[in-house]
Amino acid sequence: MTDATAAEPTDNQAMEQSRDLSGARDMIACEGVSKWYGDFQALDGITATIKEQEVVVVLGPSGSGKSTWIRCINRLEVHQEGRIVVDDVELTNDLRNIEQVRSEVGMVFQLFNLFPHLKVIDNVSLAPIWVRKKPRAEAEEQAMALLERVGIPEQAHKYPGQLSGGQQQRVAIARALAMEPRIMLFDEPTSALDPEMIKEVLDVMKVLAQSGMTMMVVTHEMGFAKEVADRIIFMEEGQIVEQGTPQHFFENPTEDRTKLFLSQIL
Amino acid sequence: MTAPTTQERVSHRVPLWRDVVVLKWFTQVVLLVVVLGTMGFLASQAGDNLRARNISTSFDFLERPVDIQLSEGIDTHPDTGARALWTGMVNTLRMSIAGIFFATILGVVVGLARLSDNWLVRRLGSMWVETLRNIPLLVQMVFYFSVLTTLPRVGLGTGPINGWLHVSNKGISMPRVFIADGFYQWLVVVLIGAVAARFVRQHRQQIQDETGAMTSPILWGLGTVALFGLVGLFVHPVFSWMGPVFGRIADLLDSLPVIAPQLGFSAIALGVAVTWIRRFLSAHRSARGHLSLSDDDWFRIVFAAVASLAVVFVAVRWTGLSAWTLDSGRDLFQVLADKFDVDGAARPFDAMRPDIIQKGMFPNYGKSGLTMSIGFAAVFFGVVFYTSAFIGENVRGGILAVPKGQSEAAKAVGLGRGQILRHVVLPQAFRVILPPTGNQYLNLLKNTSLAVAVGYSELVQVGSTTYNQTGMTLPVVAIWMLFYLSCSLTISVVVNWFNVRMRLVER
Amino acid sequence: MSEMSSGLGVPTIPAPPEEPHLPPRQWIRENLFSSLFNTVLTIVSSLVILAIVRGLLAFIFNPQRQWEATATNLRLLMTQAYPEEQYLRVWVCVAVILTLTAMSMAVWRAGSAVPLPGVGRRLLSGGVLLALMALLAPFGTRSTFIWLVIGIVVAAGGEALRRFADEERSLSTLALLAMALGGLVATLWVVPYGSHTFNLQRTPRVLAEPGTVAMSTKLPWTLMLVVAVAAYFVGTLVRDRLPTNPLRATLLVTWLLMPPILLYLVLRDPSFDMGHVFTTDIPIFAAYAVLGGALLSWLTRPSTGEAGRIVAALVLVAGFAMFATPMRMIVRLDMLLLAGFALSAPTFSGGPRARRRYTAGWLGVLGMMSWLITAINTPSTVDVPGGFFIGGISLTLMVAIFTIVISFPLGLALALARTSNMPIFRLLATWFIEFVRGVPLITILIFFSIMVPLFLPPGMHLGEVAAVVIGYSLFSSAYLAENVRGGLQSVTRGQHEAAEAVGMTTSQKTVFIVLPQALRVAIPPLVGHCIGVFKETSLLAIIGLFDVLYIARYVMSNQTEFMGSTKENILFVSLIYWIFAYQMSKASQRLEQRTGLGER
Repeated sequence: MTDATAAEPTDNQAMEQSRDLSGARDMIACEGVSKWYGDFQALDGITATIKEQEVVVVLGPSGSGKSTWIRCINRLEVHQEGRIVVDDVELTNDLRNIEQVRSEVGMVFQLFNLFPHLKVIDNVSLAPIWVRKKPRAEAEEQAMALLERVGIPEQAHKYPGQLSGGQQQRVAIARALAMEPRIMLFDEPTSALDPEMIKEVLDVMKVLAQSGMTMMVVTHEMGFAKEVADRIIFMEEGQIVEQGTPQHFFENPTEDRTKLFLSQIL
Repeated sequence: MTAPTTQERVSHRVPLWRDVVVLKWFTQVVLLVVVLGTMGFLASQAGDNLRARNISTSFDFLERPVDIQLSEGIDTHPDTGARALWTGMVNTLRMSIAGIFFATILGVVVGLARLSDNWLVRRLGSMWVETLRNIPLLVQMVFYFSVLTTLPRVGLGTGPINGWLHVSNKGISMPRVFIADGFYQWLVVVLIGAVAARFVRQHRQQIQDETGAMTSPILWGLGTVALFGLVGLFVHPVFSWMGPVFGRIADLLDSLPVIAPQLGFSAIALGVAVTWIRRFLSAHRSARGHLSLSDDDWFRIVFAAVASLAVVFVAVRWTGLSAWTLDSGRDLFQVLADKFDVDGAARPFDAMRPDIIQKGMFPNYGKSGLTMSIGFAAVFFGVVFYTSAFIGENVRGGILAVPKGQSEAAKAVGLGRGQILRHVVLPQAFRVILPPTGNQYLNLLKNTSLAVAVGYSELVQVGSTTYNQTGMTLPVVAIWMLFYLSCSLTISVVVNWFNVRMRLVER
Repeated sequence: MSEMSSGLGVPTIPAPPEEPHLPPRQWIRENLFSSLFNTVLTIVSSLVILAIVRGLLAFIFNPQRQWEATATNLRLLMTQAYPEEQYLRVWVCVAVILTLTAMSMAVWRAGSAVPLPGVGRRLLSGGVLLALMALLAPFGTRSTFIWLVIGIVVAAGGEALRRFADEERSLSTLALLAMALGGLVATLWVVPYGSHTFNLQRTPRVLAEPGTVAMSTKLPWTLMLVVAVAAYFVGTLVRDRLPTNPLRATLLVTWLLMPPILLYLVLRDPSFDMGHVFTTDIPIFAAYAVLGGALLSWLTRPSTGEAGRIVAALVLVAGFAMFATPMRMIVRLDMLLLAGFALSAPTFSGGPRARRRYTAGWLGVLGMMSWLITAINTPSTVDVPGGFFIGGISLTLMVAIFTIVISFPLGLALALARTSNMPIFRLLATWFIEFVRGVPLITILIFFSIMVPLFLPPGMHLGEVAAVVIGYSLFSSAYLAENVRGGLQSVTRGQHEAAEAVGMTTSQKTVFIVLPQALRVAIPPLVGHCIGVFKETSLLAIIGLFDVLYIARYVMSNQTEFMGSTKENILFVSLIYWIFAYQMSKASQRLEQRTGLGER
């Protein structure tokens, strides 16, 4: 792994990429993480660190283990070998650690996974009330503020089924933010959206990245990767094949498999 | 890559009360202990109470003579408790099979009626469903029973009846065809015919696939079976040699020591467990030979091993089971041997009409024509009508569940109305209809137990008479539950088999 | 996402499309004579319908039928041997249920408006039907004529309404219902139903007497109707003044609390042993209230953490251990209740308000429980002849309601166990469910009615009805669990993951996310299950309990004056069952349509 490339300031990229993250502390550290489904190996010795405030985009063909990896980071899946340390808390079978990590890591899903039986505002405020133990009034106030931040305060009292896909995904982002996470994971947040709705979600994500959130994004949106990412990780067959700045990655990739992937996708 | 950096709060030892895996298994084991403890407590209470009241729970009454008279069945004056209960089981099965057959036919008719273009027919169908579905089956049965008992009586003066149909308060009599001595030999011929039909069908299908001509393979298959059946009527005695063969097998089983089935059971149990575990392990071993097992996987392996060892233990400790297996195997083959040991002139089928030759003697069930006793009729009409309402709803739901686009698409490629129904709608509807209908068959089987209220001698009725006489409630209840469980299991296995086949067709 | 509930679970039968209005002649041609086959079908089925109607009418109006049997024995069919002088209690129960029903109807806005011409159309078809019936029934000339005239008058009124009434004006279905019920009650004041005397020497042998069933119930029924209508209007007033959700929640809780309270009302006249109450019951309650309250308010503190779980588990163990040593049952039960509350405390923990609310909930439930146990341990003053205090339809309803109420949590727990990720739970639940579903109900009822005393420790008694209700609840819970499981499976994996990702614990996820969605999907099969439970209470007759079927079949047909009236009685019982079951299934269909349209 070439740590240096990640922190190298580049001159012709967007503003946020010129941040110097070399001194920042590790937010997520994975070391030799492996996982099997039966006889199929989904993750094969993943080793990587993600710094505070860093925005990492994970690319790779489908079935390459991207989703499995980020789902391991908030223990929706259990890794079988190696170590994952999130914000100085190691993910083990320890109940307290799992609870702590889950409440610090927000997650946004491909299919939104909003709670269809609850109104939008309750979707957002449910977890703060019952997990963070906030008083209801305070939680709802915060939920309204978040909905304003993602640009849909007027939908607060509708049910998710009445919203468009893009609006639903923005509610999902607000729901994750309501737990005041220090890390946000995005699992293909725009793959289930119609083309005209992708932009509204990506815009929200960009603002989030600018605000200094640590983010890990699995996506197929190359434009977003080029513009926002500090670093791009390319995976195939459960392994990290190559990583580097967007400039490095898109303009002169070193690995053959990366070149093949880029030639297919661009 | 260096190890994760700051590690003040990263601890490797997880305290037991915070370890999710430990908590998960601890909770389960505690619950298991509570459940087993409660059951053990209740069982010991029951044992104490039974001893205190001097009630025996042995199955001896099965061998001892009983004084029970059954309304109908293969043996109306059974010698032993076992024979009585066996008669009850046969009556239950008789009722269930007849009920399932007719309820299916009637149910399909009702379902189609509810989908008819004809307003009147549709109304009739929904009247049928809404009335029968919303009245308890038992109430219906009792009603049919009370209506049937007010039918005209057969008095002493009633003459010879040489009719085709005779209805009285003793039952409904009609002519019947019944199986005679040569039937089993004939059955062998038909089975051979069925095997032949399979080949014929495949052959015709092949021709159709190659040339595109309509060869109607199914009709050809059925024709083959019919042909064999027809020919078998005349040539069936050629299979009389099978009798001695079965006799030989019976002798062989008789001479085997008890250790043989014990070894057999143990070997099967261990073999199955070992094969399963090996397959399971190989399914969890990656290409590079890494074996990853979660706690649940370990539980499965341990469970399989323990279960097989438990079977071995039971087989070894409980010699009665092995002896019983040998005995009943021998009896089965002996019965088969007797069935084949008939003279060459025996016919496979015979027919009779209901008649009273002597004044005052009403034809008995199984003696002359086919007589449906009042009890049988009440239960039969009850379960058939009741179940047909539910099956009708399943059929309707299944056909409506096929999207309209399907038949439109079929019409677009030029299929005719019959072809659309046969090749497009029905196969898809069948897949929706089958699972709930299988459930209805199960319900029908269980509902035959309500016959106890109208005096038809099925298992529950015979059983309750038996325990009223002998006081053996627990064993009788155990036999009931075992019987119904195994019947339910059989039906659900058959339905599941169909289901899986259907799903395979889908892929 | 909006597709989520509709496509999964039970196959829903789409409603047939609204038929366009056609002129009568064209309608008949399209629907009855569109083809040769259809014409044949029409003719055949009209013949069948004619035969059925004719046969039914001939059966009902046969002079040999003894309909007085049911009319006279109405009291027996309803409550069996419940003493007449205590009937006030029964009436109060009926009034309470009617009040609740009417208020719920108001709050949930039941009923719809029918335009007047629609009413006219129905009256028209009803009148024509009546006239046809009059022609078909084996009446004498005079009554045929009278009924024919009535039919024609009704039909003419309907036709007039259909033609001339304003399409805009409409009538509420509830008003129609109230009018119909009012008419029925009014007939009580006119027609002397039931209670006849029997005399072999005289024709007719059965004569109506004063002091009939109608006489003794006309005043109460009138009052009931007034109460129901009044409750409806109170309900509408309350509905418009108060916020909806708390109101609905209150009503639901009241409905849930109703069965034990009403049972208590019917069963007992509390003659409390005040000394015992003051020296034992109240101190036990107070001790549990104070200690349990303190424990719970500590457990619901978010900072308590795992220590709380360990303490809660210890409370549970202590609760079970108490069964090993002799002590008062109330102490053990309260301990188990406390353990339940303690175990679910982390799920509901939070700020001071949440903690106060949780502790208050504990005090409320504990108070209810203590009161019920105390009351049940107090001897009843209702002295009933025979084995059980109630029979007939009351028994049927009581057994059905208690079975459903008890089997609901049981079935929920079984379904959760069967779908959990804990293999031993899954195995136990699956074995139990498949075992129970594999055997007929009657074998379980026989087993419980005969064998339960054998399994009890010495000194403990359980009445036959209680034993049967327990057996029936176990049976019903297995089926209920399968229905709920269907709902649970329709909740997608993504919902579980989303709940876990925001940090909910397993129990929070189950309570707030999974169950609300699963139960909504499971409503139609659950209602079907309730109808099934209600219908199968008829099996009580087989094990010799005096339910309505048993009374109709064995008791009434053995009364000297009504020998051999079984057919009539059974027909009447069928009618009762049919009305209940049909109404329930129709209501569930309406509910399904409404929930299908709303909220999503």
